[in-house]
Amino acid sequence: MNARTLISLFFLLALAQIAAAADSQWILQQNTLTYHVSHPLHQSEGVSHAARGKGVCHEGQCDFLIAVTVKSFDSGDSNRDLHMLQVTRGAQFPMVMVRTRFPEAGTTSGDIRADLEVQFAGQTVRYKQVPLQLLRQGNESRISGTIPATLSDFKIDPPSLLTMPVKNEIPVKVEMTWHQQ
Amino acid sequence: MKVRAVKLILTMGILMFSLLSSEPLRAAVVETSLETSQSTDTAPQAQPQVPSENLPNAPSSKTAPSIEDLGIPQEQTVGSPKEQALLDQRTHMLKIHQRLGLITAVPLIATVLASADAGGKATSSTGRDVHMVLGATTAGMYFTTAYFAIRAPKISGTESRGPIRLHKALAWIHGPGMILTPILGAMAYSQKSNGEKVHGIASAHGAVAVVTAGAYGAALLSVSLKF
Repeated sequence: MNARTLISLFFLLALAQIAAAADSQWILQQNTLTYHVSHPLHQSEGVSHAARGKGVCHEGQCDFLIAVTVKSFDSGDSNRDLHMLQVTRGAQFPMVMVRTRFPEAGTTSGDIRADLEVQFAGQTVRYKQVPLQLLRQGNESRISGTIPATLSDFKIDPPSLLTMPVKNEIPVKVEMTWHQQ
Repeated sequence: MKVRAVKLILTMGILMFSLLSSEPLRAAVVETSLETSQSTDTAPQAQPQVPSENLPNAPSSKTAPSIEDLGIPQEQTVGSPKEQALLDQRTHMLKIHQRLGLITAVPLIATVLASADAGGKATSSTGRDVHMVLGATTAGMYFTTAYFAIRAPKISGTESRGPIRLHKALAWIHGPGMILTPILGAMAYSQKSNGEKVHGIASAHGAVAVVTAGAYGAALLSVSLKF
């Protein structure tokens, strides 16, 4: 093996490494986010399909950002939606943003646990080890799970109806389909 | 000389390659915050934590996506304290509307119950006076309640959906009813005081009052119970 062959081999190996470490992206294709509110007289849900998301994988690590406007949640009752917008300070802080990161190897099917950082109502809260279900099908990944959010986490005063406040727990069900580019 | 240079390049190359391939080193660089798990029974429960600083946990790397990358129009991402103040004022006024509406139901029910003693042939009776005072109180409180709903700021671009539509529609029944009932009641009171039998349009006082009270109760329930 002469020197030229060795140099060529080296550059080929180096290129392979660079290619392996190159960025890949995930784009949020479809999503359904549902919050659930409990009241002694009501059980209500607000749904949004308007989230946008992007994931960037670099050197084996993937950073994800999902954002949705607070006012995109629809509970079927415009009065409730406006009240929700008010109590969550949704006009002042119009976006809900969720950030997470995990190793690229973790994007295979199975039960996963993710650390989520949620920015909402002017507060930032981290939820550690949130259980999620991941189903990988080719270039698509379907993720579902529930974020165990509470009103007190985000310093939101529980709204009341007929002097009875809603429960502190407002679990947010997440269903997302991501496409790898 | 040429061979030495080749050896130097090769040595550096092998060193770089081994560094890039080194799993322990990569693992140290790449902070894992997610674990794959098949068993969820033993895994700890998700716990919220308020971070000590407002920095996202993810974007330690420069490649983390930002809100601009998502293509959301800027006007949707920027908060509006003015709009928030409008929403706060709206909620404040509607909360008063809700409370006063509930309180008004008390004299309303009392007026309906007192109507049992408002009849009779006598030109004056305590029962009739009590019924009249309760009715006047109800009307006064009703219009105060209505004021807070009517004057609450409207949010542009919002279309009424859900039970609030029924709540608003019923106002077209109990609203005129609350104007008409006291007028008819006053006419009936006057006729009774003059020793006359209640006649003419005044004789509709009871029926109008029942419809008004029914619509009011339905309006109250429409936003209280899910059906």
